[in-house]
Amino acid sequence: MENILLFGYGSFGRQLYKNLSSMGHQIKVVTSLEEHENSVDDGVEILKINIKRNDDILSLGINPDVDMLYCSMNKTANNLFLVLTLRTLFPHANIIAISNSFENTRKLKYAGANSVIDLYEATSRRIVNILTKPAVTRALDEIVYNQNDLKMAEIVLPKNSPIDGRYVKEVEFKKMGVVLIAIIDKELGHELIFTDHHINHKLDFGDTLVVVAKDDDLSKFKGYLGE
Amino acid sequence: MFWVQIQRRFFLKQTKNKLLSFAYLIEASKSYRKIKNFIYDLIENDDCPYKKYFDFFMIIIILLSVTILVVDVKHHIPLWLDNLDLYVVTIVFVIEYLVRMWIYSDIHKIIIEEYEEASYFEKNIPIFEVLTKIVKNKWGYVSSVSAIIDLVAILPSYRGLRVLRILVLFRAFKMLRYTKSLTGFLYVLKNKKFELITLLTLSGFFIFIAGIMLYVFEGDNDNPNIHNLFDAFYWALITISTVGYGDISPVTTEGRVVTMLIILTGIGLISFVTSIIVSSFSERLSVLREGRVIQDVGKKKSITVICGYGLLGRLVASGLKKDGIEFVVIDKDEHLAAQAYNNGYYSICADASQGDIFRQLGIDNRINHVLCLTSDDIQNAFIAVNIKSLNKNVSVTARCSDEEIAQKMEFAHVDHVIMPEEIAGMMGAVYAGEKVAFEVLLSIIEEKGKTQIDEINITEGSFLDGSTVGEIDFEKLRIILLGVFRHVDFNPLGEFVFNPSDEFLLSANDSIVCIGYTTAIANLKSRM
Repeated sequence: MENILLFGYGSFGRQLYKNLSSMGHQIKVVTSLEEHENSVDDGVEILKINIKRNDDILSLGINPDVDMLYCSMNKTANNLFLVLTLRTLFPHANIIAISNSFENTRKLKYAGANSVIDLYEATSRRIVNILTKPAVTRALDEIVYNQNDLKMAEIVLPKNSPIDGRYVKEVEFKKMGVVLIAIIDKELGHELIFTDHHINHKLDFGDTLVVVAKDDDLSKFKGYLGE
Repeated sequence: MFWVQIQRRFFLKQTKNKLLSFAYLIEASKSYRKIKNFIYDLIENDDCPYKKYFDFFMIIIILLSVTILVVDVKHHIPLWLDNLDLYVVTIVFVIEYLVRMWIYSDIHKIIIEEYEEASYFEKNIPIFEVLTKIVKNKWGYVSSVSAIIDLVAILPSYRGLRVLRILVLFRAFKMLRYTKSLTGFLYVLKNKKFELITLLTLSGFFIFIAGIMLYVFEGDNDNPNIHNLFDAFYWALITISTVGYGDISPVTTEGRVVTMLIILTGIGLISFVTSIIVSSFSERLSVLREGRVIQDVGKKKSITVICGYGLLGRLVASGLKKDGIEFVVIDKDEHLAAQAYNNGYYSICADASQGDIFRQLGIDNRINHVLCLTSDDIQNAFIAVNIKSLNKNVSVTARCSDEEIAQKMEFAHVDHVIMPEEIAGMMGAVYAGEKVAFEVLLSIIEEKGKTQIDEINITEGSFLDGSTVGEIDFEKLRIILLGVFRHVDFNPLGEFVFNPSDEFLLSANDSIVCIGYTTAIANLKSRM
């Protein structure tokens, strides 16, 4: 389980907290003084700091190798400033930020966020999909949005797994209830490759597989790999 | 004597009965209604596709008669052309006038109404009252401005009085009826009636004063061109309007001072009038444009409505445009509505929480989806309830940021409640555990890369219809099969079968959900 620092507890922050805590992660919630006044008190322990001061942020005791930093302040300007501050203080930290437009996504990436979630991009795609692709909407509901057993997961191949050194086509993913979507083949670098071209990759220890599967099948598959 | 009276009463009764049964006959006749409706549409309804042919025909007729009149001034026109003008044009106009009077209202309804009222009170039907009612009703048409113009436009056909020929100008007025932009201009004048009348009175006052002053200073033999008060007023008007022919000009110093004063006033007045008309036009333009939008939308079979053109509205609009779905944007804010228009979409500035605009767009038969995407949850709920109360079969999608409001929206039978924060929150949570899976998800959901998730509807008789999953070579098709979506009776949403086994039998109307390159998916779709 990950250690998470969640900056900002507005409407987005609360949703993040809900989802992350349901997955069992350790979360510490931090808000700035000015934004704290508007946040709802729902029993979650919240630290209040002045994000403009480096001392305040350093006093949180962030360990950049372990902690994940989520920036979800209400105001985009604050969020941008926070990402910038965190990046200057911790050059190797893992920072993820929320954005509300394509424009701001670019700025946040430039400021140093590792990954940016565009609040409206995903939403607008979903609304359009409701109208144009009902089946896709339903499938994504099952995989991503609904809290049921179907999910997308990544698996890093451990050493001496039964499929180590074998080719993708030789492995009976389908029979095991697992659909392989993408792969990071270490021999080919760090690039993510979708498997829709059905290239027959050789699987080695350290490769990453991205799969969609039901919870049961996923844990069985992981057990089979010897994790 | 007595006998005659009885006979008269009998006769009256018979006519009444005939009239009444005729009225009921018309009321019951479907074809009569159909014909009347068609003619009404042809003449009055802008949405009718044939109206433009009728308008065009009438304009040609009018131009013809005006041309004949003008040519007749200096040249002799052949007799047949004169007869054409006299008979054909007149007959067309007379028929049009009568038809318009006919479609103005339904006489038989008045008769039936009166009869039913009379029989309710067990009285005889008062035939003269009915007649006066009918005449009064039709008088409403005859006394309308457009009907008077129509009537006067018929008069020039009377050859006895030469002066009547000038009334042919009314035929030109008649053209206003058939061209929409000109009626727009009249509307502007009507709209700014108060301002224009004020200015007109003011300039009339100045002309009056200036005319009298000039007459006092120069009428007394000083100026040979001013013979009477009319000349002075004529001069004042020519000067104040800045036309200035110069046929009459002041000769005394006093006269010149008056001239200088009214020239200055004239410039002010003219620029004032111009600015009023121009501003009124620009106000009117957006209304005209929106009228056009509603007309265009009226030609579509189905349309989606986006309420709110903020950040989300804009993204959804471009997404729908990409996927070829026709939609119209409604926003209360004028600037945002104008922005949507400038982006090339149909847009209307209106309050989506009111019913009018949706009725105009066709809530009963044309609108199939409404997306409430304003940034205010309450407003979205308001719009959603508005739509559902108008027509509960229209599918409504509403954006919402608050879970409590979301519950209320679901209670109001909103089909899809979308919470951007929730969606982003879930994606953010995926990132915590699995960064690579998150990248995959992001690229699939946001459709940024070439690899996309899509669905393919299996059509009847296609190569997928009736084959099992195991028989299909997905490797050759270059796609990854994720699952099959099947419409089933027990669940209106349908059933999603993830990773179907090799024995799974595909049939028509199933949709396969797959991941693949856009080209691979397009290729498969084209084979359906």
